[in-house]
This record gives sequence, structure tokens and C-alpha cells, in this order.
Amino acid sequence: MTGDDCANMTAFYAFIQAAPQNGGGQVAEIARTFGVDWTHLGAQIISFGIVCLVLYKFAYRRVLAMLEERRQQIAQGLANAEKIKVELDRIEAQRQEVMAHAYAQAAKSVDEGHAAGARVLEQETRKAAAAAEQIMVKAHEAAALDHDRMLAELKREVGRLVVQATARVTGKILTPEDHRRLAEETAKQVVM
Amino acid sequence: MISNKQAKRDAKQLFRLCLVNSLLDENRARQVVQQVIAAGQRNSWAILAAFLRLVRLDCTEHTAKVESAAPLSAELRAATQARLTSLYGPGLTTSFSDHPSLIGGMRIQVGSDVYDGTVQAGLAALEKRF
Repeated sequence: MTGDDCANMTAFYAFIQAAPQNGGGQVAEIARTFGVDWTHLGAQIISFGIVCLVLYKFAYRRVLAMLEERRQQIAQGLANAEKIKVELDRIEAQRQEVMAHAYAQAAKSVDEGHAAGARVLEQETRKAAAAAEQIMVKAHEAAALDHDRMLAELKREVGRLVVQATARVTGKILTPEDHRRLAEETAKQVVM
Repeated sequence: MISNKQAKRDAKQLFRLCLVNSLLDENRARQVVQQVIAAGQRNSWAILAAFLRLVRLDCTEHTAKVESAAPLSAELRAATQARLTSLYGPGLTTSFSDHPSLIGGMRIQVGSDVYDGTVQAGLAALEKRF
């Protein structure tokens, strides 16, 4: 039923209610002009009322119940949506918190990693320095040993050359008197 | 092993039989060797080997080797021999030899005793100290 139809029906009922005040003849004239059959109209009104009752009893209430159910469902849906929104907000907040915590944890891990790297670097540097120091000490020891060995070899070589030269020179410069004196010294060693 | 020890004991007894005034009598030693060979015992060779070793030891102990870089004078030889005889007894056999490689001085060896006064020995000791 459109808005114009409602306006016409309202005007019609207002005309009917106003009819007794203006006299039955005028109403009857109008009714006759429009072709109104009161009996038929009353029967139609009654049947329309019955139809309305039946519809109200068997259709409209169910439709209302269905609409109510739909409304409740919609309300439930809205409530659920609201809950979901709240839950989403809570989850978002939780996510933000978790993300913040994760960021903090990651930053902490990165810091720890940096610190561990720095420690490892320091340890390795210390180890390398110790190894270098040890290598230097060993090199010094090896150099000292080589020096001592070379010195000993040089000493032996010098001694050998000295002895060789002395032997050559001594054999030439010893006089018979020297030979005799040396032999006598050896003979003096033979004592009781 | 037992026969070897026994052979050494037998050789020692035979060697003692060859001593006259604590000196080895060459004739007795020859006779002993001939007797052992003639006996033809099973361990004759072991006895003779041990006997030979004892004779060599005795000869070494009673032999003085005097080595010098230059020939020694007769006086020095006599004095040296007299000293050795007075120290090791009258049965000592002394031999003199010249070795220019000794450079100077004299070296006397009697048995395991060595008196080394040579320049060569002094230089060797000096070389060892380097």
C-alpha cells in the first residue's frame, strides 16, 4: 500500500464519519453516485476483518515472531559484532603488546648478540695476542738456542783451529832441550 | 756355560803353575800348552783360549810402552826404566818408540796405567774444553 492510497482511504473514512451530520440523504446520494452497496460493503468489511484476524492469527504473528527472531538475530549479530570488535581490539592490543614485546626481545637479543660478538671478539683478540706472544717467546728461545749453538760451534771451530795452529807451530818451535824437559816432566809423574 | 767356567778355572790354575817369583815363565807356559793339546780333552780349546787371555793380560801388565816425540837420550831412557822398574817390579819389559805426531813430551803406558805428558794430549784436552 502506497502513501497516496493511505491518504485516499483516510479521506473516505472521514467522509463517512461526517455523513450523519450532513444528513442521510446527501450520503445516500454520494453512495449512489459512487455505487456503494451497504450490505455488500458490510460483508466485505466483515470478511476483511476475518481475513485480518486470520492473517493476524496465522501469518502476522508468525511474521512478527520471525521478524523478532530476525531482530534478535540481528541484535545478536550486532552484539557479536561488537564483541568481535572488542575482541579484535583486545587482540589488536594484545598483538601490539606482543609485537612490542617481540620488538623489545629482538632488540634485547640484538644487543646481547652485539655484546656476545664483542666478547667473542675480545676473547679471540686476547687469544691471538697470547698466541702471538707465545710465538714471539718461542722465536726468541729458538733464536737464543741457535745463537748458543752457533756460538758453541764457533767456539769448537776456533778451538780446533787454535789447536791445529798450535800443533803446527809448536812442532816447529820446540827445541831438543824442550823435548827433553817435557819427557823428564812425564818421567817424574811415575812415582811410587 | 758350566764347562766355560770350569775351563777358566783350569786355565787360571795352569797359569799359576807358570809363575816363577810372580813372573810368567815362558818355558813353563809353552809346556803347559803342549800338555793341554796332548791331553786332548773335550774343552782343551776353551782352556787354551782362557790361558792365552791370561798370558796376554800378564804380558800387558808387564810391558811398558814409552812413546816420545823425539828420540830420548840414553840417560833419560835409563832413568825412566829405573822408575818403572821400581814401581812395577823387575819383570817389566820396556819398549821405546818415537812418534813425531805427539809434537812434544812423552807418553808411558803400563797395563791400564797411562802417563801422558805429550803436547798432543794437552792440545786434545784444550780442544775438548772449547
